[in-house]
Amino acid sequence: MIIRKKYLFYVLAITSSFIAAAVTGIDSYVGGQPAFKYDPWAFAFSLFFIGAIVTFLITLILSIQRRGRSLGSKLLDPSFKQIRLVQKSELKYNLVAGLMNAINTIGYAAIVSTVQDPSVILSFSQVVIIYLLLMESITEKDVPTLVEVQSSVIVTFGAILASISLTGQIHVMSLAIVFLVINPTWAIFSIYQRKLKLMRIHNKPNDSINIRFWNVVFSCVFTGLILLVFDIFTNGSHLIAGFTASIDPFYFLLLALTMGTTFFAYVLYIRALGMGKASVNNALRASTIIFAIPFSILLLKLGLISQFSTDPVMLIIKIIGITLIVLGIVSFALTVVKAYIFITVKTGRPLRETMQKLWDIRGVSHVTITSGRYDFIVKVSTRTLMKGYERIIKKIEEIDEIKKYHWESVLKDWENI
Amino acid sequence: MISAYILITMQPGKNDKAIKEMREISNIAKISIIAGEYDIVVRAQVKNLEELLDVTDKLQMIEGVGKTTTQIIEKEISLQ
Repeated sequence: MIIRKKYLFYVLAITSSFIAAAVTGIDSYVGGQPAFKYDPWAFAFSLFFIGAIVTFLITLILSIQRRGRSLGSKLLDPSFKQIRLVQKSELKYNLVAGLMNAINTIGYAAIVSTVQDPSVILSFSQVVIIYLLLMESITEKDVPTLVEVQSSVIVTFGAILASISLTGQIHVMSLAIVFLVINPTWAIFSIYQRKLKLMRIHNKPNDSINIRFWNVVFSCVFTGLILLVFDIFTNGSHLIAGFTASIDPFYFLLLALTMGTTFFAYVLYIRALGMGKASVNNALRASTIIFAIPFSILLLKLGLISQFSTDPVMLIIKIIGITLIVLGIVSFALTVVKAYIFITVKTGRPLRETMQKLWDIRGVSHVTITSGRYDFIVKVSTRTLMKGYERIIKKIEEIDEIKKYHWESVLKDWENI
Repeated sequence: MISAYILITMQPGKNDKAIKEMREISNIAKISIIAGEYDIVVRAQVKNLEELLDVTDKLQMIEGVGKTTTQIIEKEISLQ
């Protein structure tokens, strides 16, 4: 099927948000169970412990080959071949992402165990978009454009309004956990997952299924270690409690359900991270709030949660918030400039070195050496034409080997998915 | 697997119908409408040169397609 390429990015990010909304609903039910309600530490460990088992099994199933291609490649990520060991080049990124995910999940579990309305929980974490914009300006040397800042602020404010609690209660402890634990760790986690997705393993693009699998494994190890240290110093038994709860058949099934569903949300999220910046991805993920509302109503009707406001004033505020989220997302979607640059190089210059110089330019998404009229066809992506000139054209002109080039802006494109 | 860019110059006013027909051709991975010397860039992914010939043949049969320039990809680095 050939569809508009930018749709693929938005379809991936928004489908991931939809699944994440379902997961949050399930999580708030699981987190409210007696074994986890007052022990978020045990809940976090159980999530990863069962998550590692379930993710391993799903990855194994997705590795089944049919007509020369794996199931995972057909269904989720074309880059996936089969389950594999973590590579040396990925190790440091996996360690950081695993540690951040472990800390993030402990914070998340602490909130889920104490607050039952999922759309309330989600509100606090949306400020992460701003964290990401700031971090990307530093780590990716990529100063955000005015449009990116505007859209992010609109989405963030919209997200806060859409998920504000009617009771007006602000739990200082919950807010502190969100601003000091959940947001920074999620921002670093997202940036490192993106770095992993952009890596090439055995000269092929890295796949989101193995990235997710290894992230759960490392997160499980780090959560276990953090709990062990915490238990030793506090004379607690959270690790044992988490392990004991995990092997209880009822809890095992609940945790398997939540982590099995989470797997698909994350695989799509990681795939989307390979196509767009972490801040833009997280702005799109704010749509989770919109999807969480029907899930919350469903859980309320089923009697699985007891707190969800249907007050008219609150609903109006939520609708204003949702409108802002949609506006922000549309604004992101409509402000991407893509172009092809056709390049001819001077004779007698090594093409591989020139290729690397072109690849090192920020905003370049494809570099190909071609035979025919042009030596290189480069595909670029930028937020504005001005940024395209400042960041791409000026750099190309600095490459001595280039004889001639011409820029052709993409007006519309389709891609086979 | 062989990948190639096919750069197409179109006759004015024929883009929409031509794109519709191009989307039906197998072995085409990407289609972009561009502004400049060329009007459309098509990326083909084929098993051999015979199949590439089939793709260019089919493209040239589409009404409105003026000239095609094929650039075979020898090496590639990409985000995806």
